[in-house]
Amino acid sequence: MAKRRLFRVLSAVVKVKPGEERVAILLFFYFFLITAPFTIVKSVRQGSFLDDLGANNLPYAYATAILVGLVVALHARLQTRLSRRSLLVSTLAFFLLTALIFETLFAETDWKWLSLVYWFWANIFAVVITTQFWILVNDIFNPREAKRLIGFFGSGGILGGVVGGLLTGVLARAAPAHQLLFLVGAFLLACGGCVLALFVRLRKDGELIASYRPAAGTKAPEAPEVGFRDCARSVGKSPYLKLLAAVVLVAGIVSTFVDWQSMSIISGAEKISNRTSFFGYFNAGLLVFAFIFQLVLTSRFIERFGLRTGLLVYPALLLLGTAGLALAAGGAGVLLVAVSLKGGDKALSYSIQQSSRELLYIPVPPGEKYKAKIFIDMFLNRLSKSFGGGILLLLLLLPILQGYRHVYVVAAATCVALVIWMALNVRLSGAYVHAVRDNLAKKWERADGVLAGQADVGLAKLVVDTLESRKRSPELFALHLYEMAKANRLTPEVRQLLSLTETDGGLSVGHPILDGDERPWIPGFETAMPTADVTKEIEEVFALDSYKTVMADYAGRVVEGAAAGGEVGRMELAKAIGLMEKTSPLAAKLEDLLDDPSPRVFQYAAEAAGKLGRREFVPILVHKLADAHLQDDARSALERFGPAITGTLSDYLLDPAEAVDVRREAARLLGQVANAESAALLLEALAAEKDGVETDILDALDWIRSNKPEVILPREVVLEHFAGDVATVAAAKDPSALLHLFKLLGLVYDHDDVFRAYQNVLKRTKDSVAYAVELLDFSVDQEVKDKLFPLLERFGARGDA
Amino acid sequence: MVINRRENKGVVIFDIDGEIKRTDVMDVTLHQLVKTELESSRKNILLNFADVAFIDSFGVGEILASYISTHNLGGQLKLARISKKLFLIFQVTMLTKVLDIFDEEDTALRSFFHD
Repeated sequence: MAKRRLFRVLSAVVKVKPGEERVAILLFFYFFLITAPFTIVKSVRQGSFLDDLGANNLPYAYATAILVGLVVALHARLQTRLSRRSLLVSTLAFFLLTALIFETLFAETDWKWLSLVYWFWANIFAVVITTQFWILVNDIFNPREAKRLIGFFGSGGILGGVVGGLLTGVLARAAPAHQLLFLVGAFLLACGGCVLALFVRLRKDGELIASYRPAAGTKAPEAPEVGFRDCARSVGKSPYLKLLAAVVLVAGIVSTFVDWQSMSIISGAEKISNRTSFFGYFNAGLLVFAFIFQLVLTSRFIERFGLRTGLLVYPALLLLGTAGLALAAGGAGVLLVAVSLKGGDKALSYSIQQSSRELLYIPVPPGEKYKAKIFIDMFLNRLSKSFGGGILLLLLLLPILQGYRHVYVVAAATCVALVIWMALNVRLSGAYVHAVRDNLAKKWERADGVLAGQADVGLAKLVVDTLESRKRSPELFALHLYEMAKANRLTPEVRQLLSLTETDGGLSVGHPILDGDERPWIPGFETAMPTADVTKEIEEVFALDSYKTVMADYAGRVVEGAAAGGEVGRMELAKAIGLMEKTSPLAAKLEDLLDDPSPRVFQYAAEAAGKLGRREFVPILVHKLADAHLQDDARSALERFGPAITGTLSDYLLDPAEAVDVRREAARLLGQVANAESAALLLEALAAEKDGVETDILDALDWIRSNKPEVILPREVVLEHFAGDVATVAAAKDPSALLHLFKLLGLVYDHDDVFRAYQNVLKRTKDSVAYAVELLDFSVDQEVKDKLFPLLERFGARGDA
Repeated sequence: MVINRRENKGVVIFDIDGEIKRTDVMDVTLHQLVKTELESSRKNILLNFADVAFIDSFGVGEILASYISTHNLGGQLKLARISKKLFLIFQVTMLTKVLDIFDEEDTALRSFFHD
């Protein structure tokens, strides 16, 4: 009961699903309980450094970040030796203890450079505590769930920052700043309790949540012994991770520049008497904004505008702020601008920027993810501050720049870095799509396409027919041989196959027609195979007027049944006519042969009609499509007519009075034609179609799209169909009903992506559905997503209606 | 090409020796020779190809023209001892259905009187 109430309350604000609410709440508090102490630590860091050492020494503080690499290396080793739970708890204990030590040192010593040591410790605190949290989030949630929830428990962090900041602001005025470290210890103690409760909850509710892997609570099973070098190598091997690393590096440098600019102006402001308190209120204030944005807007913003926009918003706003600072330099409002710039930097960094960046890790394979996070988030992120500090020192000390005000110099450098950052973000968002796509293996290709690509179906049929004709008559066999020779299909392998006799244990030669027949059978069969000159001569014989005269009489007798040979004779005649020229007068006999009661005769006659391509045969062939015994041969013949009969086929397709089988095959044939005209006609038929052959029309269009992607189909027409069919699919019980919608989408969006997603939706595991949706998120328009995604979630991993 | 004429049991036999091809310039063609026989009311004609080394479609045309002329007058024109290649051509073009083709001369001669 309490659980359901919790779900109802939470789902009013957050897109949480049943089963997720408790873990999400615990993660919310976990993040709250690490960012609250961090904000205190940071405020004390900023205040004490400016008080003791001043803004001019800040670049040295930034440079200490490079030492974080050692800590990162140690953390990487610990991660492989300890379970996730043990690592988190022991880390919290370590920082609690060291916080108390620093409190003592600040209280008992006057050493100014202690502030620099403390700065270093604060950096480590920030890196380790935050990164561990995000690693755990990535373990628990898959891309789709993360996108939904990241705003929520991320906002716990922001709220923690607000509370930490306000406490700092108030308490720093009443007591020495270092005593706030006792408060830090208290928060860390509470956080330890929260972490333990979280792992207990994961053991109970884990299987309800996405792709939660029990290994998240134990040592990562695929994690070998890793050192820092291994983590670096892992990132170096992946173009995607290198790009991400580059973004983090540039972002860190920008952040350092912005921080310095703001801190310089703030440290010089006479209005500020207690800097620690100021920073406490400042950090709290900026986080209020970040909290509201994170809780209410971040997830929705990313879902609505996409990851690319999410990544670009932050640097774009910083660019505006930097320009504003440069313009306001020296003026009365410069403190306000500096505070706004600094505030905006952190607010967006904690909200949309952080959330977007965490999403970027999700398609990274689990074995690589934690290594990448160690290197990028823990080391590179801090190293970037060192770089930033180094570049700052350079800018401030370079003789050539001494004539310019530092604020303008640094502002110019910041703008350059921001442009680079934005360009990298654009590339990164594209690379993200590829990374998601790589997680979706295409399960199968269209079978007819595979067959056409890998097997010579035409040759196979011809060889089989040739072998079969050996049993029927020498003339029929000879005609087949001639056809194969003419088409250069009489390869040595085929010749060998056709030469097999009974004694070879091969196919039966069997000449019942020749048994007792006085007609000679030429011995040395293989030497009698048609050669190039023979085939040429045969062509010439076919063209002879005398030949036409001689054969016309014979053909008439065959068709009337007066000639000897019967069915075989008619087969021979049909075959021969197909090998003559299109204008041969004997071709007129095909009309009778196409109506022959024998399916074998029809087979040869249809084949001949297709080869000759004379349009008077089309109506007969089309009507034969309705006969199941003759359909294949009729279709094969009509395919040979190609685009010439597009209009005729369309007429049959659009005629509701025609037999369904005829209309069905007409749609299929139009698909085989596969040009712009046939595609347009099919779409027209789709619009007119209510029942019956809609599936066949769609299949034909899908064939065109798969095989002739250069044929463009009008998007609005197809999407109109899509919108109209959604309700029908929604009422279906079986997920295979989605195929209809996916076929429509495949006509106008990237066909490969759409079908990759469809096949993985059918797989119906949580991960496969989530990745499929993630890929479609980048592929299709918003109005399609609004209609499709609810269906996918309904038919997805948890089952059907 | 050389064509020699002989008779056997009332059947005119043309022994064709050499190549029958369009590039050969001859005084009298095969068809003309056959027509001459037909005009003389000799309507049973056998063409012997035992010594024909090469025949092209022109040669086939000659054979067919001779057949037509003979057939139209109620006569019989048959072929004997043709090459494998020529037989294959006749098979592919289905002329084996129309023309009577024999492996041996004796068999061919007998057939004139059995039909």
